Amino acid sequence: MNVLIVEDEKGLALEVDEFLSHEGFTVEHARTKKSASEKIFVNNYDFILLDLGLPDGDGFDLLKMLKGMNNREDAVIILTARGAVDDRVSGLEQGADDYLAKPFSLNELLARMHAITRRKHRLESNDINVKGLKINIQNRTVTYNDERIALTKKEFEIFNYLVLNKNRVISRTNLTEHVWGDVLEINSDSNFVDVHVKNLRKKLSAYIPIDWFETVRSIGYRINI
Amino acid sequence: MKLQVKLALYNTLTKLAIILFTGLLILLSIEKISYDHVELRLEENERETLRNLNSKEINSKLTNQKPYTDFNILKEEFITIKPVKFEPTVTKNASFTTETRTNESVTQTYRILTHQFNFNNHTYLLEIGVSITSIEELKSIIKRFTLLTLLIALALTLVSDLIFTKFLLAPFYKIIDRKLIKVNDPMNFDYEKVKTTTQDFELLDDSISTLMKKISNLFSLEKQFIANVSHELLTPISIISSRLENILLQEELSEASENKMHASLKTLNRLKSIINSLLLISKVENNQYDKADVVMIAGAIMEIEEELEDRLEEKHLTFNNNIKYIYSIMGNRPLMHTLLFNLINNAIKYNKPKGSITVADELKEDVYILEITDTGAGMDQQQIENAFNRFEKFETEEKESYGLGLAIVKSITAFHGIRVKIDSVKEKGTSIFLIFNRE
Repeated sequence: MNVLIVEDEKGLALEVDEFLSHEGFTVEHARTKKSASEKIFVNNYDFILLDLGLPDGDGFDLLKMLKGMNNREDAVIILTARGAVDDRVSGLEQGADDYLAKPFSLNELLARMHAITRRKHRLESNDINVKGLKINIQNRTVTYNDERIALTKKEFEIFNYLVLNKNRVISRTNLTEHVWGDVLEINSDSNFVDVHVKNLRKKLSAYIPIDWFETVRSIGYRINI
Repeated sequence: MKLQVKLALYNTLTKLAIILFTGLLILLSIEKISYDHVELRLEENERETLRNLNSKEINSKLTNQKPYTDFNILKEEFITIKPVKFEPTVTKNASFTTETRTNESVTQTYRILTHQFNFNNHTYLLEIGVSITSIEELKSIIKRFTLLTLLIALALTLVSDLIFTKFLLAPFYKIIDRKLIKVNDPMNFDYEKVKTTTQDFELLDDSISTLMKKISNLFSLEKQFIANVSHELLTPISIISSRLENILLQEELSEASENKMHASLKTLNRLKSIINSLLLISKVENNQYDKADVVMIAGAIMEIEEELEDRLEEKHLTFNNNIKYIYSIMGNRPLMHTLLFNLINNAIKYNKPKGSITVADELKEDVYILEITDTGAGMDQQQIENAFNRFEKFETEEKESYGLGLAIVKSITAFHGIRVKIDSVKEKGTSIFLIFNRE
C-alpha cells in the first residue's frame, strides 16, 4: 500500500516514513501544498497523511481538491498541531477519514490506518485470527470456537490495539491514550489500565493458554504472534 | 435614576419656580394698584364730604348730635359721620383699614378711610368706605388661574421634557446598550455607528469603537500567538516522540535503553499534557469557544461516571448520584465535559480507598447548585485559597499531577459564568459547589 505524507516538517516526515516503510508501506513525501497537489493529481494513494499548516497554504484545500476528483478512494488522515476541536470537526465534515492531533503515537497512527483499511476495503472476512481467537472488528466481539467471550468495551479496545501492534511493546501511556482518548490530566502513570488488562487476561486464559500475552515490566504489554 | 428622568424633573422644577414667582408678583401688584386707586377715591370723597358739611341734610343731623349715614344703592360705598367725645385738637391725617361690615343685612369687605375732625366745637368721626369685594374676588380668580396654569404647565412640561429628552438621549442609550452591555466578546463587536447629531455622543461612540478595536487587536494577536506556540512546541515534541518510537523498533536495543526510551516517551507525554492544558486555558480565556450547545448536567455526570467507572472500581469508591433535577445550560459541551470530568476525577484522585463520592443538586429561586462531595484528604484554608492557581498541587498517591486541573476548572467556569465555592475539612473531605445563575 502506498502512502503520501504531506508535511512541511522534514524531521517528522522522515520518522513517519521510516516507521511506515518498516510496516511494509511505500511512502512518498510532499512538503508543500503545490508539490502535494501535483502528486495527488498524478497518483492514487491508499493513504494521504495531511498536515493542515503548510508553508504555501491550508491543507484543507488539498482535501477539497481531492474530494472534487472522480474515482478516488484515497483515505485522508489529518495530522495537525492546531489541535482545536473546530479543526477536527470541519476536517471530518469535509470528508477526512480520521484526525490525529500532534504529537501522536506512531502505533496509534498505524492502528487508525488499519481500522480505515478494514472499513474501506472490507478486508477478507473482517476477522483477525489470534491463536484460535477470532476478533471481529465490525461487531467488536472476540470468539473462540464460535463461543463469544464476554469482554467489556475497554477490554476489547485494549486487546484489539495490542493485536494491531503485535510483537511490539505498547506502553501504558500509549494504551491509555488509545482507549481513553486524549483526556487532559488523566494520567498514564496510574495503573488503572492494568486492572483492565488483568481482567482481559483472566477472561482469555479461561479458553486458551496466553503465554503470548506478555507483561513488559514497568513499561507495558506486548502480544507476540 | 435615569439621566432622562433627571433632566425632565429638573426642567419641571425650574418652570414650577418661575410660574410660582410670577403668580405671586402679579397677585401682589394687583393688590397694591387697586388699593392705591381706592384710597385716592376715598380721599377725594373725604374732601367732598367735608366741603358739604354745611349742607342742609348733614348739618341738621350734626347739630342734633346724631350720626349721619348714607349708602349708595348697591351698598358699594357708604359714609358715616358720628359725634364722638370732644377733643380740642384732632389728628389731621386720615387712616385706612380693611374691614368687613354689615350694612342693612349686606355684608361686604370695605376699604375704609377714618378721619376725626372738629366742626362747630364738636368732634366727629368720619368713615368713608368703598367695597373691595370685587377686588378680593379678582384676587381669588387670579390665584385659581395661577394654580391651574401651574398644574397644566407642570404636566405639559413634564411630558414634553420626557419625550424630548428621550428623543435626545436615544442614541446615548443605544450606544450603551449595543456597544457596552451586549458586547461580551470584542471579536464580535459591532462597529457600525449609532446615528446621532449630538457631537458628544459621536465622540463617545468613536472612543468606544477605538478602544474595542485596540482590545480586539490584542485579542487576535494573542490568539495568533497561542496558535503559533502550540504549533512550534507540539511539532518538535511530535518529531522526538516519533523518533523514539522508531528507535524502539530496533531489535538490537538493550533492555536498559528500551526502558529509558519508554521513560522519555512518558516525559514527552507529560510535556504534551501540560502544553495542551495551558493552551486550553488560554483558548477559553480568549473566548475561542462558542456556547451553542444545550448541555444537560445530569446527562454529563452520567457519562463521566461511566467513563471513570474503572477508576472508581480500582479505588473501591461508591459513587452516589443524587441528582434530582433535569437542568440544562447553554454552553460548550466539550468544555463542560472537561470541567465536570476534572472535578470528579479530582474527587477520585484525592479520595481514600473505599471512600465515596456524592453528586447532588439543588434548585433555588435564582440559582441551580451542583455539589460534588468526596471523602478524601480535604484542604485547609490556605490550600483552598491557592487551589485555583496554576501548578498548585497537593500530595497525592498518584505521582503525576500537573496542578492544572483546577486552573482549567476556573477558566471554564468563568467562561460560562458559573460560580465555584469550596468547602473542605482536612482529613474529612471536600465539597465543590458549582453555582449556575438561572436566566
